[in-house]
Amino acid sequence: MTVTLTNGEAGVSRALDLLRTANTRLVSIFGSTDDNRVRRVHYLIDVNSREYRMLSSPVTGPIPSATPIAPAAAWYERELHDQYGIECEGHPDPRPLLFHENWPENVHPMIDDVSNVPWINDEGQYRFLRVQGDGVCEVPVGPVHAGIIEPGHFRFSVVGDTVLHLELRHFYTHKGAEKLFENSPVMDGVMIAESVSGDNCFSHAVAYCQAIENAFAISVPPRAQAIRLIGLELERMIAHIADVGALCGDVGFNVPAAYNARIKESLLQASTRFFCTRFWRGIAVPGGVTRDLSSAETGEFGRMVTSAAREFQQMARLILHTSSVQNRFESTGILTAEIAQQLAVVGPVARASGIRLDVRRDHPSGRYRDINVDVPHYKYGDVLARARIRIDETAISMDLINETLKELPAGSVLVPVPLSGNAEALSAIESPRGELLYWVRIRDGKITRCHIKSPSFQNWPALPLAMPGNIIADFPLINKSFNLSYSGCDR
Amino acid sequence: MIGDAVERSLRSPKVLISVSELFSNTAGSRMPEVRPDLLTDEVARRVLDACPTSALKVEQVAGRKHLILNYGECIGCSRCVAASNGAFRYAEKFACCGVSKKALIRRWDIQSRAEVVQDEPVLSEAAEQIRSLVGRALNIRQVDAGSCNGCEGEIIALTNPYYDLERFGIHFVASPKHADMLLVTGPVTRNMAAALKQTYDAVPSPKLVVAVGACGCSGGIFGGSHAVVGPVDAVIPVDAYIPGCPPTPSMLLTGILQVLRRGGECI
Repeated sequence: MTVTLTNGEAGVSRALDLLRTANTRLVSIFGSTDDNRVRRVHYLIDVNSREYRMLSSPVTGPIPSATPIAPAAAWYERELHDQYGIECEGHPDPRPLLFHENWPENVHPMIDDVSNVPWINDEGQYRFLRVQGDGVCEVPVGPVHAGIIEPGHFRFSVVGDTVLHLELRHFYTHKGAEKLFENSPVMDGVMIAESVSGDNCFSHAVAYCQAIENAFAISVPPRAQAIRLIGLELERMIAHIADVGALCGDVGFNVPAAYNARIKESLLQASTRFFCTRFWRGIAVPGGVTRDLSSAETGEFGRMVTSAAREFQQMARLILHTSSVQNRFESTGILTAEIAQQLAVVGPVARASGIRLDVRRDHPSGRYRDINVDVPHYKYGDVLARARIRIDETAISMDLINETLKELPAGSVLVPVPLSGNAEALSAIESPRGELLYWVRIRDGKITRCHIKSPSFQNWPALPLAMPGNIIADFPLINKSFNLSYSGCDR
Repeated sequence: MIGDAVERSLRSPKVLISVSELFSNTAGSRMPEVRPDLLTDEVARRVLDACPTSALKVEQVAGRKHLILNYGECIGCSRCVAASNGAFRYAEKFACCGVSKKALIRRWDIQSRAEVVQDEPVLSEAAEQIRSLVGRALNIRQVDAGSCNGCEGEIIALTNPYYDLERFGIHFVASPKHADMLLVTGPVTRNMAAALKQTYDAVPSPKLVVAVGACGCSGGIFGGSHAVVGPVDAVIPVDAYIPGCPPTPSMLLTGILQVLRRGGECI
């Protein structure tokens, strides 16, 4: 991973210039306050898929909005305003994002005192975009949904069954996680990271730990890096297997849905057996991992992973060859490459729309530096392409786990981390949902700022653009094929 | 191809876990368990230092020193297990699922190295009413009031072929109007408080509310955040609590059955 830093007053205009050039992708925009409590804005831009460039600038008044140049900036700038009170001039949609009507508009939690924020009773005042015309109806869905799912609100404008427009309203699970990191000792922050998005908790934990390790220039023992890779790839397998099963459930194909749930459970039980935790919580800590595998366990664990992945591949072949599945998956919920590019979409959703991004290949860290990762991609951008990507990647993950288990380096799995000191650093990993970044600032061994760029925050705005022209009954299927985390987005 | 899928499924070996194996099983949850015979002042001091939440406390009670473990606040970080010289270990079984808030808290006398046993909590009136009304069936509406989705993943697992919640006549329903029980996860965020209250109001009486997970029981790691109102009982009345971060499917199942006092009859 290469990171280039630029600091100075001209940071904003230089960032906007960079976003105008070809082969750049907006990764994140976030705020911080420096040691003199002056607000700063940071632009994180991926150049040529090889280098992260971070441009920072102090902020004294309004700054020009990047959204007209890079539409992907829209939510970041709304968040920047909610957290830091930084105005982005020329932003096409300056509504509050993180907080709903009960939150006073002039309180910005990253710079203001939030010990006793008054409750404003203004529920229902939020302005949705209105679509008008003969026969146009609005269908509100959520925040409490029919299944066992996280909360979010979807406002459909439909004519008959056909969706004309979908507007999202999220942040129901906003828990102020970035603020909670403040003043937490470096060893404790990992527990908050694990609770940002529970189903990707190991990815978040590793991304956080790598940021701390990058900040203090610690090299993690090769054996710990290998175990982290195994955990990351296992988490990806579990997520993808569950997603493909849930997609079958959404088209009423219950046998593979139940079968995939069973394969997923067998992997969680393998984790329990060898790591004492179903979701690898508590395994990654700054400096390495807390658990090792004996050579006998290595073989047994590898066999369990392989047999689960093989069963899934058989099930996947069966799913893809079933005509009713093909009928529902094909050409449903198309996200075009052009829109995906403009919104800087990441992860399996991007790869299903022809955009070949993968942090493991483009910005490798840890064990990924020493290996080659295949990056499958499809060009159609429909539900079928997103299902296929997940099926292909599960097989790749199985191979990566087995290769790593075969050549597990010897040595320790944990080195000490300094508990004091000042530093700043970035880390990036490919979580099951895509590019996940942590940026930390450490003062006297405590976190003073932690920004999380989550793939779900990036990808949610693309979902409504895959909806128009589809029928409302296909929404659960399309939504599931994106499979974004609400909590990971809302934080 | 559908025929192949059905055949494959019928031919695959049964994976259903028996109730006796499931009930009170906490494997994989990383919930700690105290071995009172190894408790010392030194151990108490070390685990207290190690605990990142306020799940562990030491209190002076009538001149005796008590070590207190509140499972409702425990996020299963396992630091106490590492710091305790063997006095704490991962629990394989415990029954603190589907109990009152008071029963989540256990205490040990450090000098006499014995657990201080408390009164058996009384079943809430609503639980008795539901039990007599629904008999063996129960409809559950799950509400995420702000969780990280860890608890949701485990609740969904209850419906997989290993746990098969439906074998007990227990179903998840789509509407609060069809529900006997609300299973609520997460610290209640400011943005979800109103929706949670409305969902609670929509459930016909008598109704049960079970708070799930460290966040649901106590606010967990998110307690004290400006964007969080608090645990579930800060917003709606709660009948029973299931701790864990996240609770495993067997803990959830134990909790749900325990609220209906069906543990004994199922085993």
